[in-house]
Amino acid sequence: MIELERLTKRYGEFTAVKDLSLRVSRGEIFGFLGPNAAGKTTTIRMMMGLLQPTAGRIRLGGFDLAEQPLEAKRLCGFVPDRPFLYEKLTAVEFLRFCGDLYEVAGPAREARIAELLETFDLADWSGELIESFSHGMKQRLAFTAALLHEPSVLVVDEPMVGMDPRGARVLRATLRSLADRGATLFLSTHSLEIAEALCDRIGIIRSAHLVAVGTLAELRARVGDGAGLEEIFLKLTGAEDLLEVIQALRA
Amino acid sequence: MSGLGLLRPRWLALRGRWRRAGGGERRRSTALLALGAIFWAAIFVFFARVLAYFQGVPELGPVLAERLLDLVLLSFFSILLFSNVVTALSTYYLSEDLGLLLASPLPAASLHAGRFLETLWDSSWMIVLFGLPIFLAYGVVHHAGAGFYLAVAAVLPPFLVLPCALGVALTMLLVRVFPARNTRDVLLLLSVLAVALLYLSLRFLRPERLVHPEAFADFLQFLAAVQAPTSPYLPSSWAAAALIPFFAPRPGQQSGLAYLALATSAAAALVGCSMVAERVYAGGWSRAQQAKRARVTRLALWDRWSSRLPIAPVSRALIVKDVKTFWRDPTQWSQLVLLGALVVVYVYNFRVLPRAGAFLARFYLEHALAFLNLALAGFVIAAVAVRFLYPAISLEGRAFWILQSAPLELRRVWWSKLWSGVGPLAALGLVLLVLSNRALGVNPVTMWVSAVTLALMTLGIAALGLCLGSLYPQFDYENAAKIPSSFGGVAYMILAILFIGVNVVLEAWPLWTLLASRLLDRPLSAGQRIGIAASFAAVALIDVAVFAAAARIGIRALESRRE
Repeated sequence: MIELERLTKRYGEFTAVKDLSLRVSRGEIFGFLGPNAAGKTTTIRMMMGLLQPTAGRIRLGGFDLAEQPLEAKRLCGFVPDRPFLYEKLTAVEFLRFCGDLYEVAGPAREARIAELLETFDLADWSGELIESFSHGMKQRLAFTAALLHEPSVLVVDEPMVGMDPRGARVLRATLRSLADRGATLFLSTHSLEIAEALCDRIGIIRSAHLVAVGTLAELRARVGDGAGLEEIFLKLTGAEDLLEVIQALRA
Repeated sequence: MSGLGLLRPRWLALRGRWRRAGGGERRRSTALLALGAIFWAAIFVFFARVLAYFQGVPELGPVLAERLLDLVLLSFFSILLFSNVVTALSTYYLSEDLGLLLASPLPAASLHAGRFLETLWDSSWMIVLFGLPIFLAYGVVHHAGAGFYLAVAAVLPPFLVLPCALGVALTMLLVRVFPARNTRDVLLLLSVLAVALLYLSLRFLRPERLVHPEAFADFLQFLAAVQAPTSPYLPSSWAAAALIPFFAPRPGQQSGLAYLALATSAAAALVGCSMVAERVYAGGWSRAQQAKRARVTRLALWDRWSSRLPIAPVSRALIVKDVKTFWRDPTQWSQLVLLGALVVVYVYNFRVLPRAGAFLARFYLEHALAFLNLALAGFVIAAVAVRFLYPAISLEGRAFWILQSAPLELRRVWWSKLWSGVGPLAALGLVLLVLSNRALGVNPVTMWVSAVTLALMTLGIAALGLCLGSLYPQFDYENAAKIPSSFGGVAYMILAILFIGVNVVLEAWPLWTLLASRLLDRPLSAGQRIGIAASFAAVALIDVAVFAAAARIGIRALESRRE
C-alpha cells in the first residue's frame, strides 16, 4: 500500500532524508522510529504532499503521488504532530468541512461524525469552537477528521503526543481495529515503547538514513538477545555512548 | 538584557532569511524594492509639482503649501495612532515569545523598552519611508537650506514617539478594562475609536472651506481662515509650525515654541507610558490569558442560505469556512466598521463640494472630479482588498496542511477566494462611484465609461491582491489586522496604485474628447473615433492581461508552496 523508492530530501547542503526505500503492506501497522531530527517528519510530510522530494518516488495505494496526487490523497488520512486546525470553527463544522474535502456527504457523514466524536470522547464538545480545546482534544479531533472518510492509508506523526491514558487506550484500540479491517498504518514516534505496543514492524531512521527494518524480535536479535527496549533503540540509533552514560548513572 | 537586545532575534531572522533565500526570491524582492523606489520618486514628483503650482498662485499659494503640510502631518498622526494601537496589541499581548520572555529573569522595564521599540518600528517605518519624499519636495521647491532638513530630522523622532507612547498606553488600559473577555474583542472598541478619529480629522480638515472662497465675506477673511492651523492643540500642528519657518520664513513665527511643545509632549507621553506599563501590564497580560472559552456566533441563516449555492460542494465548503471564520474573528470583522466610515466620508466629500459658478466652469469641475472619482474609487477598492482579500491565503494559517494533504486542487481554493472577494469589492466600488457621480450630476457617457472601467479594474485589483497574498503569505500571523502592513501588502498597494494610474491615464484623453464633442455639439473626426476606440481597447486589454497574469502567478505560487 505504501511504497517509498529512493526518497531523498535536501535543503541546500543539508540532507534531511537520503535514499529511503520502504514498502508497507495492506493491513500492517508500521512504526517509523528515530531520534529527534532524524528525518521522520520530513519523510511523512513528503508522503502527504506537503513537501516536494528532491528525488525518489512515493506510491500510495498504487497511485504515484507526483503523477496522480488527488487519487493518492483520497486514500489517505493524516494526523500531524502539532494539530493546527481551523480555530474559529466548531468541532462539528470542522468535521463537515473535512467531509466535503474528501467527498463524504449526506446522512452517512452525520452518522459517522457522531460515532467518531463519541469514540474520541468529544461528543459534549461538538458545538464548541476549536480554539477553546486543549492540545489533547485537538489531537483527538485531528484523528476524528483523518478517520472520517475511512482511509485505506493512515499516516500519523507522533500519535501519542498530548494524549491522556484513556485517550491512548481508545486510540490503540481504534488503530488496531482499522488495521484488522485492512487499512495500512504508518506511525512515526521516537518512543520504542509506543512502537512495541502498536506496531507489527518497525523501521529505524538515523541521520537521514533508514538503518534497520523488521519486527521487534528481528531487531532484538540484531542487537543481541536479551536487550531491553532502551538498549535496542540507543544501539540502533547510534547512541551507544549515551547508553554507557545511562549505565554509569544507574551504577 | 537591554530593550535593544530584544530586537536581535528579529534582525537575525531577517538576515538568515535573506541568506537562505534562493535566486528567485532575491530577484523578486529586488524587483519589489525597485518598484518601491519608483513609487517613492512618483510621490516626490507629485508633491514637487503641486508645490510648484502653489508657488505660482499669488498671496494664497504659500498659505496653501503650509496648510497642505499641516494636513499631511495630521493624516500621518491619525494613521500612526491607530497603527500603534493595533501593533501594540500584537507585540505586548499576542506574540508567542511573550511566555518565554516573561518567564525569564528579564527586568520589566527592559521588556517594555524592547516591545516599545518594536511597536515604534512596525508602525512607523512606512510613514517615514513614504513621508520623506514629501519633505524632500518641500525642501527642493522652496530652496530650503540645510536647516530645513535638520529640522525634519529633529521633528520626526518626537512626532513618531508621541503617537506610539499614546497608542501603547491606550492598548494597555483597554486590555486592563476588558479583562474577562477575549483580548481580541478589544479591537472592536479600537475600531470605533478609529472611526471617531477619522470623523474628527474630517471636521478639522474642513475641506469645503478651502475650495469655496465665495462663502466668506471677502478674500481677506478667506485668507485668515486658511491661515489658521487645523487645530492649535494637535501635535501635527506643532510639527508643521516647527517646520514651516525653515522653508517659508515670516515675521512672528514661533518655531522653537512649537518644537518645544512637541518634544516635551513626546517625553511626557513616554514617561506616562512607562508608568502605565509598570502598573498595569503584568496584571493585564495575566488576565488576558484567562477566560479562553469562546462565544460561538451560530450563523444559522448563513448555513441555510449557503447550502443552496449552485456551486461544487468543495468550493461551497471553502466559502462557508471563510465566511464563518471572518464573522467569528473580531480582528477581521471589526475592520468593516472602518470600511463603513470610509464610505460615509467618501460620499460626504462629494456632497460638500461647491456646485455654483459659470456653466463651463461647473461642467469642467464636475467632469474633472468625476474622473478623479474613478481613480479614488479604484484606490478605495485596493485599500479594501488589502484588508480583506490580500490576507485570504495567510488566514489559512498553520492549518494550511489540511488543504495541502486533501484530494483538492489548490487552484480551486484560489478561485473560490477570488470570486468571493470580487463580488463584494465590485458592489462596493460601483455603489461609491454611482452615488458620488450622481451627487456631481455627471452625464450618462461619463457614468457608463467610469462604471465599466471600474468593473474591469476591480478584476485586476482583486487578482493582484490575491496574487501578492499567495506570493508572500504569513501563515504564522499573530494578529490578522497586521497582515496588510507586511512587505507583500505594501508591494500590493504600490502595484495597485500604478495599475489604477495606467487605467486613468489611458482614459483621460478619450473621455475628454467625447465630452468636448458633446458639449460643443461637434461630431467626432475619424481619427478621434479610432483613437478613442484604441484607448478603450487598450484599457480593457491591460485589465484582462493583469487579471490573467496575476491569476497564473498566484495559483502557481500557491500550488508550489511545498518547501
